[in-house]
Amino acid sequence: MDFSYTAQEEQFRQELRTWLEENLPEGWLASQQLPSEEAELGQFLRKWQKTLADSRWAAIAWPEKHGGRNATLMEEIIYHQEMVRVKAPPLVNYVGLHMVGPTLMQIGTPEQQEKYIPKILTGEEVWCQGYSEPNAGSDLAAVQTTAVKKGDKWVINGQKIWTSFAHFADRCFLVARTSKGEKKHHGITCFLLDMNQPGVEVRPIIQMNGEHDFNEVYLTDAVAYDSEIIGQVDDGWRVTIALLMHERTGIGAQVFSLEQQFAELVNVAQTVTEDDQPLIAKPEVRKRLLDLYMNQRGSLLNYYRNLTKQLKVGHPGVEGSMDKLFVSEMTKKLFSEAISIQGHAGMLWEEDAVQDQGYWQKNYLYSFGQTIGGGTSEIQKNTIAERILGLPKDVGR
Amino acid sequence: MDFSLNEDQELFRKFVRKYLNDQEQTKVARDYIAGNVEAVKQAITGVNELGCMMVNIPDDYDGMGLGKLDLVPIMEEFGRTLMPGVFLETSAFAVPIINQFATTEQKQQYLSEVASGEKAFTIAWLEPSRSYTEKGIQLEAILEQEQFTLNGMKTQVADVAFAQYLIVPVRVNGEVSIIVVDKETPGLTITAQKGFDETRQLSSIYFDNVTVPISALIGPLGDGWGILQEGLLSYNAAVSSVCVGAMEKIIEVASEYACIREQFGQAIGRYQAIKHRLADMKLSLETARSLSYYANWALETTSEDRVEAICSARIFATQAFVEIAAHNIQIHGGIGFTEEIDCHLFVKRSRFYENYLGTQAQYYDQAISALGWDAATKAKEHENLLIS
Repeated sequence: MDFSYTAQEEQFRQELRTWLEENLPEGWLASQQLPSEEAELGQFLRKWQKTLADSRWAAIAWPEKHGGRNATLMEEIIYHQEMVRVKAPPLVNYVGLHMVGPTLMQIGTPEQQEKYIPKILTGEEVWCQGYSEPNAGSDLAAVQTTAVKKGDKWVINGQKIWTSFAHFADRCFLVARTSKGEKKHHGITCFLLDMNQPGVEVRPIIQMNGEHDFNEVYLTDAVAYDSEIIGQVDDGWRVTIALLMHERTGIGAQVFSLEQQFAELVNVAQTVTEDDQPLIAKPEVRKRLLDLYMNQRGSLLNYYRNLTKQLKVGHPGVEGSMDKLFVSEMTKKLFSEAISIQGHAGMLWEEDAVQDQGYWQKNYLYSFGQTIGGGTSEIQKNTIAERILGLPKDVGR
Repeated sequence: MDFSLNEDQELFRKFVRKYLNDQEQTKVARDYIAGNVEAVKQAITGVNELGCMMVNIPDDYDGMGLGKLDLVPIMEEFGRTLMPGVFLETSAFAVPIINQFATTEQKQQYLSEVASGEKAFTIAWLEPSRSYTEKGIQLEAILEQEQFTLNGMKTQVADVAFAQYLIVPVRVNGEVSIIVVDKETPGLTITAQKGFDETRQLSSIYFDNVTVPISALIGPLGDGWGILQEGLLSYNAAVSSVCVGAMEKIIEVASEYACIREQFGQAIGRYQAIKHRLADMKLSLETARSLSYYANWALETTSEDRVEAICSARIFATQAFVEIAAHNIQIHGGIGFTEEIDCHLFVKRSRFYENYLGTQAQYYDQAISALGWDAATKAKEHENLLIS
């Protein structure tokens, strides 16, 4: 066992750390304040991504010829650790950088690669992912959005939901049904849809924490061309899955965030007082914190163990479903405990007496999404039971 | 970055597993319940012949000179089969403290005897006050003319049948010291206690003017409490591995059963109620395993966070074992509730480790203290003292 980093890895970390100190938005380390107005936020985030891209820090795992650094898995891990450390602004084109770009490199035509990849990197074109529908959530192959060929055009009708960043997006990686196949995952095609057209309408979904990440996307005679199909017509399921498989280190960022959030919670318990005593003076609070500590350490160490395996075999394993399940459930638990521990202050929202400008309350509400998005906890458990423990597939599948 | 056991460690695991499979796994534990101590001793001899007891003993004393992490796969394998014996007490408690605190002569004697498989240790710590605190150690040893005279009682001592030596914390001139006592010393009486886990035999031990030469003292006089704490760190890192092995076996058996047991015309493992319970069990197991690997690594490298790491592994693994053993019965249904199959053996063993050599509550406190979370409270208490 060896938890150390090589000299080369440490040098990589130092290079990134120095760059971040010099290039983070002004005043970021002090307050991490994002613009509240939506258009301004979009501009701010696009500018941040452009800054990263200009120094080849936006998509480090990409090959050098596409503006990446051909980073190793360990370098990606370090990248996430450092980004979490400074609580760097989010990547507005996360879907483009981590999912669409690599899929284009794998399956796209040379023309598609040339047309889309450079603009994904700089954030000039932001992408969203048109997968989930009102009746196709966990059961993605049940998509009902249709694309019908009329002359040289594909005419697309249907509805997508939970589409993150669609309100900023220029393009959508869209899954649509082009024929009725023998099985439900037959007859699916993937489109690289232009969002800036009359047939596309984006309506915001406001989350329970008052923020806006998701949208509904209504497609009414939206148009795509043959050149905007990735992979083959009716053979899109393969492409759909290929895109999902590119998400190789996203869990790491959540695991490192959980570690940091836990340290912040301990700090709250040590500094916030009730009856002139720090919260941590209560045995009850200490016990809750230790339970969180063990689980948070567990999620980090599980991740390192799976990472070790991935480094050895060269590709991510099904154990990722355990990491996803655990870190999302624990994040939910941590924020829930954070509200409890604060006692009466936990009831507050936006006002002077609220701890950390309501950070704990807002993230508590936001955390409910973590055990739903990216495959619900129930789906992860099915995967663990079927693919790791060898139990038979569910009734109906 | 490499967070895994190495190839040699995994290879050693294979030898141990093969041997224990040849012993028909939990059959040894069942032999012990049936009172067939000789059969268990034979199985233990086989384990010794594999070299399990030599692993963490230095080369100079006929051992393999390996570390704490090399014990991990062995402990996991013992956990899988609920192997009776005093491996934990010997390899993970007695050997580390003797190695760290004993004289060369003592090492030459005790460590060589352990390495050859000739002799083993168990721990006679608990007293009728039922407390693993420093205050709980009251058994008196009077030091006169180069020998100790012991009077008092120890209780809930595990598996004396397989051990020749007892590690005995005593009070000498009011301070805690550690003495090794041969169980056949005159004046020492062993009385069996009926325990919850029949695969571990507990005894009360009475000391009636038991005399022991001063050469049996481990470490300096009066340093006993610190020595015990070091022993506990080793023991707790190792016991977390035993629990991991036991949980791994339970989940294999439960998954297999869920695939073959049919109700309403299909395997019960098709139902999400069963599937999700098993997935939760698997996640707990792997988390316990990660924590236990790390705890053993922290112990081996004397990492700064070793106390909280070991306490966490110990608390999490023993607790998860209790829960997983219980889930296993529910998954098996009626048959799980019988003596016929192994489910109950795992439940009983899980309750043994839960509060053996320290309670869960004690380890919570120790971890909290190691993390510095009680510092604020202590400062406050101190302040209050000054005011009053």
